Amino acid sequence: MAVKEDRYKLVRYSPWLLHFNTGACNGCDIEVLAAITPLYDPERFGIKLAPSVRHGDILIVTGAVTKKAAERLKRLYEQMPCPKFVVAVGACAISGGVFAKSYSVVGGVDKVIPVDVYIPGCPPRPEAILDGIVKLLKMIEEGRAVSKCEHKG
Amino acid sequence: MSTKAEVLSKLAIRTEVVKPKRIVFVIRPEDLRKVFEELIKTFGPESFYLSTIVGVDLPAENKMRLDYYVHFIPEGETVVIRTFIDRSNPVIDSIIDIVPGALAGECETFDLLGIVFRGNPYLKRGFFVPVDLVQKGIHPLRKDSGV
Ligand code: SF4
Repeated sequence: MAVKEDRYKLVRYSPWLLHFNTGACNGCDIEVLAAITPLYDPERFGIKLAPSVRHGDILIVTGAVTKKAAERLKRLYEQMPCPKFVVAVGACAISGGVFAKSYSVVGGVDKVIPVDVYIPGCPPRPEAILDGIVKLLKMIEEGRAVSKCEHKG
Repeated sequence: MSTKAEVLSKLAIRTEVVKPKRIVFVIRPEDLRKVFEELIKTFGPESFYLSTIVGVDLPAENKMRLDYYVHFIPEGETVVIRTFIDRSNPVIDSIIDIVPGALAGECETFDLLGIVFRGNPYLKRGFFVPVDLVQKGIHPLRKDSGV
């Protein structure tokens, strides 16, 4: 294994998720919560919920980013330790969805912070959300996803 | 003991029925405080709660409509207390001193529609509305706001 990958080892073995709603209608949030229930058993991939943003490895963002949530999203992202990855869940988090041109909306998550994986759907099914996260882990393993934080870990 | 509908009907100009268990009592704006005072006096402050306040801009009639959604807890019923105010001078009495739960509703309606709730010291722009619109003085839910 290459040296570069070692700093991602912890994330690959047990990624801790942090879920943040930047203006979702709650549809995506319900599916994210469903995805972390024993029915879908995310722990078989080592996936757990982080108790605090400072323990998070992967930020799950749902909903169109409103102008007010944009500041908070950026602050949250900056508080996460490196390496960190971002998953945009749902049409809204990808591009703003049906709220795209609203006066209070900035747009998709990638207008504010870098995004690694986009999971389409309105809302996506829990299987799709887990699949997206597992794909991200695979991408990390293969070196196709690189954490974009400025301070190198 | 009189029912809630009877108490409300006494102060209403007219009533409408949107759907069963959702009666609309249209009142004069100056009677708003009286209606809530009457509810508290007759049934006690814990017999109902104000779920939300909804404002609608009606430029064609030069009016603004205010709907107070009141939920009666023992009956499990929701009624609407509706009133119309002048669009060119949108002012109505605040009820936060008698119904503290009205705070969020009044602040939101002020921010989105520019309706002034006389006596509410917490009204401020930017409660929900993004700062760029606030700087332009836009109330986004007004039909002519252009956003
Ligand atoms: S993508 Fe659909 S379900 Fe998800 S927040 Fe947007 S509107 Fe709601």
